[in-house]
Amino acid sequence: MLSRRALIGGAGAALALAAGRGGAAPLAKVKALGTLRVVVYQDNRPWSWEEGGKIVGLDADLAQAIAAKLGVRADVAQLVADESVDDDLRNGVWKGGLLGFMPGDLMLHVPFDRSFAARNDQVAIVAPYYRESFALAGVGGAMALEGMPTEWRGRRLAAELDSIPDFYLIGSFGGILARDVVHYPTGSAAVAAVTAGQADAVLASRAQIEHGLHRAGAGRVTLRRGPLPAFTSPGWDIGMAVRENSRTLGDAVEEIVTAMAASGEMKALFARYGVSWTAANAAG
Amino acid sequence: MKGPIMRALSGVAAITLAMGAAPLVAQSGPTDADLMNDAKSTGDVLTYGMGPQAHRFSSLNAINSSNVSKMVPAFAASLGGEKQRGQEAQPIVYDGTIYVTGSYSRLFAFDARTGEEKWQYDARLPDGIMPCCDVVNRGAAIYGDKIIFATLDARLVALNRNTGKVIWNKQIADYKEGYSATAAPLIVNGMVITGNSGGEFGVVGAVDARDVNTGELIWHRPVIEGHMGTLKGKDNGITGKLNATWQGDLWKSGGGATWLGGTYDPDTNLLFFGTGNPAPWNSHLRPGDNLYTASTLAIDPATGVIKWHFQTTPHDGWDFDGVNEFIPFDATINGKPMKLGAKADRNGYFFVLDRTNGKFIGAHKFVMQTTWANGFNKNGKPNVIPEGRPPAPGDAKGKPVFASPSFLGGKNWMPMAYSHDTGLFYIPSNDWGMDIWNEPIAYKKGAAYLGAGFTIKSIADDHIGALRAMDPKTGKIMWEYKNNAPLWGGVLTTGGNLVFTGTPEGFLKAFDAKTGQELWKFQTGSGVVGSPVTWEQDGEQYVAVMSGWGGAVPLWGGEVAKSFKDINQGGALWVFKLPKS
Repeated sequence: MLSRRALIGGAGAALALAAGRGGAAPLAKVKALGTLRVVVYQDNRPWSWEEGGKIVGLDADLAQAIAAKLGVRADVAQLVADESVDDDLRNGVWKGGLLGFMPGDLMLHVPFDRSFAARNDQVAIVAPYYRESFALAGVGGAMALEGMPTEWRGRRLAAELDSIPDFYLIGSFGGILARDVVHYPTGSAAVAAVTAGQADAVLASRAQIEHGLHRAGAGRVTLRRGPLPAFTSPGWDIGMAVRENSRTLGDAVEEIVTAMAASGEMKALFARYGVSWTAANAAG
Repeated sequence: MKGPIMRALSGVAAITLAMGAAPLVAQSGPTDADLMNDAKSTGDVLTYGMGPQAHRFSSLNAINSSNVSKMVPAFAASLGGEKQRGQEAQPIVYDGTIYVTGSYSRLFAFDARTGEEKWQYDARLPDGIMPCCDVVNRGAAIYGDKIIFATLDARLVALNRNTGKVIWNKQIADYKEGYSATAAPLIVNGMVITGNSGGEFGVVGAVDARDVNTGELIWHRPVIEGHMGTLKGKDNGITGKLNATWQGDLWKSGGGATWLGGTYDPDTNLLFFGTGNPAPWNSHLRPGDNLYTASTLAIDPATGVIKWHFQTTPHDGWDFDGVNEFIPFDATINGKPMKLGAKADRNGYFFVLDRTNGKFIGAHKFVMQTTWANGFNKNGKPNVIPEGRPPAPGDAKGKPVFASPSFLGGKNWMPMAYSHDTGLFYIPSNDWGMDIWNEPIAYKKGAAYLGAGFTIKSIADDHIGALRAMDPKTGKIMWEYKNNAPLWGGVLTTGGNLVFTGTPEGFLKAFDAKTGQELWKFQTGSGVVGSPVTWEQDGEQYVAVMSGWGGAVPLWGGEVAKSFKDINQGGALWVFKLPKS
């Protein structure tokens, strides 16, 4: 099984076949059709997930807000994540899925990163709208949250399987914490384990933690304030992608996002999910 | 004569029923005994592998090394539609019908004399599935009135073989958790035995047995230590010993998908299933042997209990996987007649084991180069080359490590063949390596991730693919045929001193089984990545193979993509015979 192989370099070229069905629309076409097809990730709490037959979450709300401001209806579609976001851009934006997933006009939750954008030249990555980073939260008092990670031996440490937090907890400090790591399929599930008392601490994205604490109500779980020693991920900006030939749409969306940030609308949207909105570094 | 009525019924009852109840004719068909005898019955092809031991050998010799050059197409049949991707299926031939599975989980019944389509079944697939390695299927299984195949959304579907109507349709795993299914089912003692596939983390390999008539689960055997097996709904013992070779809770998501299915040996009454690579990919985070990943397991078909295991790549860090078919055969080693089994592994070594107990007999390199190990010691453990292991993500940024074979393996899914006449195994192999490096800018599901970059590279100037004839007693390669593009199709060998295999360049080729001399080729119009079969019909010998380029190679080919960049998609069944004189 080729479960984690990033499509890089030559392998990508083999897939760069002519785009099949549909194709994302530039601004004028979106307005004429009256529909903006927005791709979000499936099962990606707090950003997008299904609840009571509806797609909800930060990205789902943002998709609705953008469509409303363009004066069109939002058609929000959930994409199953592939092995890398490079693959997701192929499936979700410029080509479509092998099994018939129709590409969107706009895809949310795409890393806004110069090197990443450079190797994905079939799309334009625009409108950075959030600065994401990893954080640690735990049951205050039960463990030395601000201490050295090596003090956490014997504690139940929750992390998403095969994530940067997982690699950090399992691999750092000579693997001293490896046996204490409890794995979950998503960061949100790892956070829920701590709020439910099934784990003592969690290392996950800040949005996953803040949303999880918000859901669980006020409790004894708090965020570590100090940085984690030898933790290498400085965080990353999140933006959106349109097809390379849909830049008019990308420009319009970027204007909308900039205005939402300036007006406080973005902050309010995030607050509904308990997440403190942080402007992307690149949003200057 | 293989009269379907007479075989199914007996005595007085047969006479009564044969007179009074014509519809019963439709209910009959291949029995357990027929399936077990498939290697000897030359008038049909009832099992994946042309016999439960999967020798892919037919004693037929009407087409042979002296006349194969005259072989011509009898007909071709298109799978049609826009769904022209990799066609990796092996045909099943019974009672005047050829059954083939196609890309996107389709099954077709063609008239074996005219090539006309009798019926077609298209599985309705959800768009939320994410198959890792193209939308392939490797074949169907036949039993009684049923033809059974697995679908990409991890279901098993039993169709009436005369009408194509669904008899039962069971979920075998949850596609939403990353499971899929592409292998041909194996039928033993009235049970459908399947493995599972899945590219996502959280997947745990398993072997399942179901009632062939209802699809109901009989036993379930996870292949990662610590997981509980079941028999008839009750707990039936844990696989291995909890945390013996896995740290923490990583066994819960340990991988080991059994994605290529298995073989069965009536002689020892054992099922043999290979298991996939461990998860997560980064081997530095899961110290230990990680049993039973990258192994061959011998399983009791009645209970699903593991009788023995042999791990071909301990602590796999290269995605060598261990799913390759284990083929039972008998031979005399050092003057002693032995019940053996052979497996040509992704890791580049051809293993010979005592199939009664899994004891190591030998491991012989069948590819040009293995950078991860330098042979195997007497105890069956690899002499590992430490610097050949890919580094942990986050370490040694930028500098690639070269590994050979590449993750696509010295031999991938494509099955080898074993000749009863020459005593040789014919291995469809590839000589290629890969550069692996830590990718500092990697993202997964919108979040930062520690990824690795890979590119597959040629290691020889004149070929990637190589069909090799291996003497299992000596480990010597008796001959080889080199092919420009990677070989990705199965092999057939016959009593006519012939070996057949296909090439991505579109040819089905025939070779002299003793010398490797190429005797015949035919251009099918697209790459051949299926497995050929042969049978006798109306007094003539036929050969059939699927054509249709695809599978994992065009998805992951890297630098070697130039060897197949001009190959077009396709989807057709080709059938050949000698011209009537």
